[in-house]
Amino acid sequence: MRTSIKNGIRLGSIVGVVLIFFHLTGFSVVASSMLGNLLGNASRTANVTRLPIINLIIFITLLCIFAGGIASKNKEIDSWGNTLIPGAITGAFSGLLVAIFVYLIGIVYAQNIDLRNYLPEVGLPTINYLLFDGKKFASLLYFGLMTVGCIAGAAFFKSVIRADWRKKAQTTSVQTFKKFVKKSGIQKFIGNKITVYVFLAVAALLLYFLPTQWGPYWNYIMGTVGIYILLGLGLNIIVGLSGQLVLGYVAFFAIGAYAFGLMTALEPHAISMNFWLAIGFAILAAALTGILLGLPILNLRGDYLAIVTLGFGEIIRILIKSDMLTGFTNGPSGLNGLAQPRWLGNAFTDINFFHLIVIFVIVAIFIANRLQSSRTGRAWLAISADQTVAQATGINTFKYKLLALALGAAFAGLGGALFASRNQFTGPEDHILMVSINVLCLVIVGGMGSIPGVVVGAFVLKGVPELLRDLESYRLLAFGALLVVMMVMRPEGLWPKGRPALEALYYQKHPKDSPPDGEVQS
Amino acid sequence: MSEQKTTREQSSLNVSKLIRWIAGILLLALVGWRVYQTAFIEGGYGPDTWMRFIIAGLVIGGMYSLIAIGYTLVYGILFMINFAHGEVMMLGAFGGYFMFELFAFIKAPTASDPNMNFLNAYPLVSVLLAFIVGAVISATAGFLLERIAYRPLRKAPRLVPLISAIGASIFLQNAAQLLFGPQRRQYINPDVLWRGTGWSIPVGDTTVLLTYTGTLSLVLSALLMIGLFYIVQKTKLGRSMRAVAENKQAAALMGIDVDAVIGKTFIISGILAGSAGVMWGIHNGLFNHYVGFLPGIKAFTAAVLGGIGNIPGAMMGGMLLGILESVGPAALGLDFQLKDVIAFSILILVLIFRPSGLLGEALSEEKV
Amino acid sequence: MTETVIQTHKLSKIFGGLTAVDSVDLTVPERSIASIIGPNGAGKTTFFNCVSGFYTPEEGDVLFYGKPIQGNATDKICAMGISRTYQNIRLFSQMTAIENIIIGKHPRLKGTWLEAILHNPRYMNEEEEAVKEALHLLEFVGLEGLGDHLARNLPYGAQRRLEIARALANHPKLLLLDEPTAGMNSQETADMTAFIKSLRDDLGITILLIEHDMKVVMGISDQITVLDYGTKIAEGKPKEIQANQRVIEAYLGPGAAALSKKFQRKRSHDA
Repeated sequence: MRTSIKNGIRLGSIVGVVLIFFHLTGFSVVASSMLGNLLGNASRTANVTRLPIINLIIFITLLCIFAGGIASKNKEIDSWGNTLIPGAITGAFSGLLVAIFVYLIGIVYAQNIDLRNYLPEVGLPTINYLLFDGKKFASLLYFGLMTVGCIAGAAFFKSVIRADWRKKAQTTSVQTFKKFVKKSGIQKFIGNKITVYVFLAVAALLLYFLPTQWGPYWNYIMGTVGIYILLGLGLNIIVGLSGQLVLGYVAFFAIGAYAFGLMTALEPHAISMNFWLAIGFAILAAALTGILLGLPILNLRGDYLAIVTLGFGEIIRILIKSDMLTGFTNGPSGLNGLAQPRWLGNAFTDINFFHLIVIFVIVAIFIANRLQSSRTGRAWLAISADQTVAQATGINTFKYKLLALALGAAFAGLGGALFASRNQFTGPEDHILMVSINVLCLVIVGGMGSIPGVVVGAFVLKGVPELLRDLESYRLLAFGALLVVMMVMRPEGLWPKGRPALEALYYQKHPKDSPPDGEVQS
Repeated sequence: MSEQKTTREQSSLNVSKLIRWIAGILLLALVGWRVYQTAFIEGGYGPDTWMRFIIAGLVIGGMYSLIAIGYTLVYGILFMINFAHGEVMMLGAFGGYFMFELFAFIKAPTASDPNMNFLNAYPLVSVLLAFIVGAVISATAGFLLERIAYRPLRKAPRLVPLISAIGASIFLQNAAQLLFGPQRRQYINPDVLWRGTGWSIPVGDTTVLLTYTGTLSLVLSALLMIGLFYIVQKTKLGRSMRAVAENKQAAALMGIDVDAVIGKTFIISGILAGSAGVMWGIHNGLFNHYVGFLPGIKAFTAAVLGGIGNIPGAMMGGMLLGILESVGPAALGLDFQLKDVIAFSILILVLIFRPSGLLGEALSEEKV
Repeated sequence: MTETVIQTHKLSKIFGGLTAVDSVDLTVPERSIASIIGPNGAGKTTFFNCVSGFYTPEEGDVLFYGKPIQGNATDKICAMGISRTYQNIRLFSQMTAIENIIIGKHPRLKGTWLEAILHNPRYMNEEEEAVKEALHLLEFVGLEGLGDHLARNLPYGAQRRLEIARALANHPKLLLLDEPTAGMNSQETADMTAFIKSLRDDLGITILLIEHDMKVVMGISDQITVLDYGTKIAEGKPKEIQANQRVIEAYLGPGAAALSKKFQRKRSHDA
């Protein structure tokens, strides 16, 4: 019980600080306006003076319900006392912290002090809103609301979410569903080759027709998702398979983009290479850079490799931008008027370009998949699991690490060239550190070494923020928090890689070779 | 500390060794030629300019040293690069800033000047308090960082806490940006300590300015480093830290509370970084949420340059990097834009040619 | 004439001020089981590391079928036909059991990354053969049916056998086993002993063994080498080693030999 109380206080302080943070960064206001959009009682872009208070109350209550639920998680004795008391403690403690905060900003409001010089999100109208429309006793309201909210949350979690009746209902419904599936004979369609083909055909049709329907904005976003899938697949080979943490991946992206750009832009060198050739050139240039970079640094310890590649990425960007090399790279102005793909004399439309990206992505997935389940892929996995032993088992670790770097760089080069061509432009600002971090995030959040993970990661980290455009300013904050949370709670990612069941597969193919007792455990 | 060990994993590959040797010799030749050109042929800079560069280098070197010590302490104990350490420094800078703003706001009227504020009436106290607050904020940040983002991952494979550190770094940067806004802020120094004022030292035909802020930074850096050295070498805590860095298990068996020692290490490195942050603000004036990023990487470079895990190495590496960065672009006849390139290049070169650093690493062993 | 598989001449490994292996000579003929024993810290694993290439000796040579191999990288030495297992099992934990074995065959396969993408017939055949052989090895070490389990999920004894299977996949001529029966009960130890014997008898592999379990050592060794503080203090057949004074003293301390003599006399008196 005492640990529950201690946990309650700890959680309470976290919740209190989090809510204060939300208030100070303006997130509470944004959340309220989003709720307004959802509930229909306010428009998304409403000024804070026009937001209904009820949205703020709902937001705070939701936070408290969630907190109360976590606070009351007690595996040993699930009595009402053990659930409600920690909930109450969490609520009261967080309520206390927030009440103090609210009291202070109440004073600020009463004195008409404008804090926006120091805290830009906390202007007087905002404070007015956060005080529930300037209520004098707002701190008491907060205290009460949060305590009640957490208790309610604890009760809710105990009686609904963790309740036996819900778990039973869930298992029975799953069982009934399974029985239904068995009875109706759908079973034989799942995992059947024909189903897979049908599924792929449907996906292909969707990919072909959707771009015509969703307008140029979504076309661009989905195209970016596709390019990031390419990048993710490349980085996946380097980080996920061979276990080398590279933080300067954007360097290869930049080399690909600039190789493409320098060959096709009208200035500074008017070479006007053909699009397809330029793409090939970009891929080769990036791969070559990977090899050259790798040769001296591959034997470095993991953390050192990370920092060195980070430095390399920054060096490339600074050099591209520098006055010294402006004659060669066009400096900060970037490269304009890059080549566009043409087929039979016709320029590609936006939709065509999207299809081109899709084709490249499919080819890339195909290649990555084949590499992963090959002798090369196994060697990479062994290196990342235990490099010393991998080498002692006969794997030339240097060669394979260099290969991973070169192939990964090649993917990035392709992505860079496509990105540049689509924008008809590339410049130093396209090749900042954030790009490396974005790609690293999506590989890790999706699942290191997992190809479906990369696809999921790309959608989650590039597509989802588009859906939540209102929260654009909080995107990076969420990124950072997401990385820490994922590493602590689920380091294997959202869709972790499974290993192929080679034994079972073999006996499936060659039933007559099965061991005598027939049963192959799996 | 314990036996020296190389960072290089087993490599008897002659190809890469050969490439390294050739590249190294070519590079030295290039650098030597450039320096010769600039120093003797082009002769654009007089001795006063070089003095200026060196002084500037020392000042910033002191700050790098303080931050570098933080990196080296954490790396020696946890074998990980605390990517968020630059952000710890940034929080200290903000702390000092707010203190100065507060003191400037408080009125302290005197007979001669009714508009005097606390900051100018009691500059010494103000500066001292600013440093203390900055250091405390950074220390707390470092402590929480360890508890939340690193401690749960102590047993995980090396990649995982590294990524968590990157996430924490991004989070802190953006939290600061969201809270305080992206605009650059300027430190209001007390009038006596205003930037750009100082002693004029005659050098050759002209004079060189030795700023008050620069001197303060240098002196404070030295004091803090001496203090740290004393703690590590002479106190019980320092002994525990060294023991834990050398062999966590053995230290635990000897009754040392490893978790507490690790927490205190983060607190100490936070204090140093926070002080460096306040110094940065006082000396350089402008800063924002991004101020920790580059100095963080450069300080890590300095730590590696001196030998990771090696505290005197970090101190020396910081000063050396500061001077090289300051004197380098001029000496090589390059643009000042490329100052950062020099720092990064030093990092890469050190890691390629002498990964154990100038004074050698001091890390515990790994068994086969 | 039996060839000498492995031979070391005055092999020495020095770390800073510490001489871990001091001028050790060892000769192991083909198709034999040679054991290296000695108290903890005697330098046995360091010696192994010198043979398998982890360390380059400061002095001396290691000759594999007459060819000096010291200073070579570990992967080259493995490709020559020397495999090893580890004192604290080092499997590739994220891979399945069968994948671990297939990785062991890496030096005997030739598939390149290009072939992996193209899936040409030669490559596909080679991969299929590798899986088949891995399944045989799985059966050979008694792990059939467990191939698709993650290596780290297998029980301890199974992991040890898997490590040996991985080593065997390389078709080694020399197998270095580092404490293969550590942590096993008497039944498992007996099984492992018989298994090691069969490796020599049925597969013709030469085995170099580090062991602490004297029953095992005395039971299967053709020759025993005893190290103490890095030097070889005795070598010979099991019976000779058992009676050797220096060996007893190395393990039990000075004066122990005299004590043991006393007990031997007492036993022959009572008999």
